[in-house]
Amino acid sequence: MNNKVKAWLEDGTIDVFLGYKEVDHHPLPYCFTKERLDEVDDLLLSPARYSLEKIATHMTDEEPDIKIGMLARDCNSRALNVLYLWNQLNPDNVRTVNVNCCPSRLKEHGDCSYLEPETVGAYKRRVGVDNNLALKDVEAYDETERLDRWMYEFQKCIKCYGCRNICPVCFCKECSLEHDELVRTGPLLPDVPVFHMVRAVHMAGRCIDCGLCEAACPMDIPLRLLYQKVNQIVMDLFDYKTGTSVEQPPFSILGDTVTLEPKPIEPLKVINNE
Amino acid sequence: MTVKRITFLQELLGLLGLGGRLGLSWISSAEAQKFVQVVTDFTQKIKSLGPNPLSAFPEKRKAAAAGLLLEQSSVMPA
Ligand code: SF4
Ligand code: SF4
Ligand code: SF4
Repeated sequence: MNNKVKAWLEDGTIDVFLGYKEVDHHPLPYCFTKERLDEVDDLLLSPARYSLEKIATHMTDEEPDIKIGMLARDCNSRALNVLYLWNQLNPDNVRTVNVNCCPSRLKEHGDCSYLEPETVGAYKRRVGVDNNLALKDVEAYDETERLDRWMYEFQKCIKCYGCRNICPVCFCKECSLEHDELVRTGPLLPDVPVFHMVRAVHMAGRCIDCGLCEAACPMDIPLRLLYQKVNQIVMDLFDYKTGTSVEQPPFSILGDTVTLEPKPIEPLKVINNE
Repeated sequence: MTVKRITFLQELLGLLGLGGRLGLSWISSAEAQKFVQVVTDFTQKIKSLGPNPLSAFPEKRKAAAAGLLLEQSSVMPA
């Protein structure tokens, strides 16, 4: 693998390669370049997982013609498909090294550490939504209990926007979650469940079930479960399987026109490799 | 498309336990009777479902916090 990456960098197939490198014993996303070819020997496979394709999107924003190589697990590949469909990345400018995938309902085997079932505390089990549950178990609670449990989870939200920031398919220039008419910005606490519902609706046709949002959420809100419901409805109603191919048209539950006044937001910074 | 969009929302709200509070109907300007019927039915349905359960949450939250404190103090007596 390392030799292939080196060869690609040397012959100009790619300008940069996104992978992982151990820094102070932490596997961190890292950008390998031709200028520092030796570093490719430190290219690390596992168990790190990050939305490298999101970094690729930011890089492409800055430099539209940059040719990017990256490690791709199955979740990364699904996200790439969505990004290609939405013209956020050009497939001609992206080369992937496909590696083993994380376990999910889509694929059983994997070596990603982030999706090991978590231990959930007794209090959360009693009043909240256990992150390890399957959708049907959550739906088995009666209506009132379901609302109580979800609201317990949502009310913990500290509106850090981590779920959106990590999400490989959240690429909007103006995000509804920072649009005061929809979701109040600034003071805590966030409007619940509006904040989470707005995001859930946006994930229709976009969420590729990577679970990074849930892994990133400091309040341990079972976001993945919520978006799995979204995915299930999109599949049942529209027969749309998000991220599975680039043959399908982009899917948007919201329709084509947005009537909100655009509002400038700070551009997200590309991870600095210096 | 609109039917599916609304069905999408109904199902999503259903997961949260807020089912039955969103409806969709097509009524032409010539169908006054139908309009009255649909609105009356839906009003009744909403009434029978009771007030928006979300409005109870600030109170429920306080109660839950108090419950948690109690629980902790019973584990660790002062
Ligand atoms: S939350 Fe919605 S508006 Fe915000 S970046 Fe994601 S998809 Fe776009
Ligand atoms: S699982 Fe979360 S982070 Fe991953 S695509 Fe879906 S919403 Fe985004
Ligand atoms: S990551 Fe969690 S706490 Fe942060 S905004 Fe998202 S749901 Fe809220």
